[in-house]
Amino acid sequence: MNIDEFMQQVSSFKGVSNVSKIRNNTVKLDLSKEDSLAFFISLESDFEHCSLISAIDNQPDFELVYHFSCMNQSIVVDDSDCAVMLEAHVYLKRDSPSIDSISNIWFGANWHEREAFDLMGIYFIGHPDLRRVLLPEGFAGHPLRKDYVYEIHEEEW
Amino acid sequence: MAEMWISMGPQHPMTHGLWTLKVKVDGETIVDADPELGYLHRSVEKMGERRKYFMNTTLTDRLCYASSTTWTHCYTHTVEELMEVEVPVRAQYIRTIMLELQRLASHLMWAGAYMPDLGHITGALYFWRDRELFLNLLEIPSGSRLLYNYIRIGGVKRDLPDGFEEKTERIMKLFEQRLDEYADLFENSKIFRMRTDDVGKFTADQAKNFGITGPNLRGCGTKFDLRKHDTYEIYDEIDWDIATREAGPGYSDCFSRYMVRIDEMKESVRIIRDCFKKMPAGPTMASRIPVRAQGDAFRRTEDSRGEAMMYVVGDGSDRPYRWKIKSPMFTTISACPHYLKGYKLADIPAIMGSIDICIGETDK
Repeated sequence: MNIDEFMQQVSSFKGVSNVSKIRNNTVKLDLSKEDSLAFFISLESDFEHCSLISAIDNQPDFELVYHFSCMNQSIVVDDSDCAVMLEAHVYLKRDSPSIDSISNIWFGANWHEREAFDLMGIYFIGHPDLRRVLLPEGFAGHPLRKDYVYEIHEEEW
Repeated sequence: MAEMWISMGPQHPMTHGLWTLKVKVDGETIVDADPELGYLHRSVEKMGERRKYFMNTTLTDRLCYASSTTWTHCYTHTVEELMEVEVPVRAQYIRTIMLELQRLASHLMWAGAYMPDLGHITGALYFWRDRELFLNLLEIPSGSRLLYNYIRIGGVKRDLPDGFEEKTERIMKLFEQRLDEYADLFENSKIFRMRTDDVGKFTADQAKNFGITGPNLRGCGTKFDLRKHDTYEIYDEIDWDIATREAGPGYSDCFSRYMVRIDEMKESVRIIRDCFKKMPAGPTMASRIPVRAQGDAFRRTEDSRGEAMMYVVGDGSDRPYRWKIKSPMFTTISACPHYLKGYKLADIPAIMGSIDICIGETDK
């Protein structure tokens, strides 16, 4: 499948909007939170690798950016070897920062979701093991949020 | 026999950095594992939000001490994409040479660290002796041995000095002879093969789903290398091939992952030779480098350990609004319960050593 055909195919999907192409090999799109899981399941056969999940605090709302890469050349850019990527933006409200987990589809997304939960406080529904991954257990707050306040702890002796 | 949990790390010769691997064993057989990270977390992403774009190259150098140039390159490459900076052609060639020298040093570092894991101390000294030669080479243009800060936004810090090509050629020639020696020492060694053959197997399909990339994926026979498949700098103009190995149809074991790195070092030597042949004269720094950036950009590069990726969001100020680092080892370690299960406790150093862990980039 050519990348332009793929763009037409995804733009008809429910919840998908603003489909555009960046740097000749990346399809960028916006996705609604409710339809995200159904859309990601449909991607699995073409994009077998989940590269990255980034969480951004846009104040007041959150944004999740998913990057998937296609390694089996089922989607191609003209006649080149170039591997196609997909960048999906999902916007979450600040009072309910939760979304369906995709770690049952791509195991590689498991720790990316744990990291987004750890540092940004996004809840992934259906995640098998949503614990902190980088910060210690019992740490209060999510430090990559823009409203996180640094506290200087004075040790009591 | 009753099952029990054993904690390997954070201080354990197997860990190569600070992390803990909890393994559940039934007798000597591994039935489950739980990796734990965070001992080295320095909040690089948060620190980066408080610094200007050009200041962050010092932080990216410190992401991985074994492969610092590749991480600085990944960052500068992303920021150049965000700021729409055109890098001069000569600077792109110099970058490619530095990246490949770094890949050689990193793979030699790994091979040297892998040998003591298998009980072969002499191997460590041999490989690290060769790594020293490449560190000397990297020191010539950059001035430091470990954290170079040589690749900057818009180009490189300074041009290559006179005589660099001859010195590189001399060392690469010596290195190629040494690789033949090592083939006799390790690949044909029965003891080495007993520890690595048919140990730590995973298939290519599993690897892609687990998020395993780079040499570990190419060790399954998958021809996927971002230097070719999402090309950057001048890798598309250079004559080289993707090194792949497989233990059997579509799967890898510790030995194929060892061999693919040895093959990759040979390819790196080829790339450096071709770069010197084709390198044009010209400036090494872009004439116009903006300070502020707006919008978002991502780039992925082939790090020594796999797919390195950065995603930078700019809000129009001179500092990144959000800077996200994707470390290839982060996901590879997360999948370790899958490829450890069923093997013996004594196989853990051989398996975890063969995937080339660097905790600096993993913990960020």
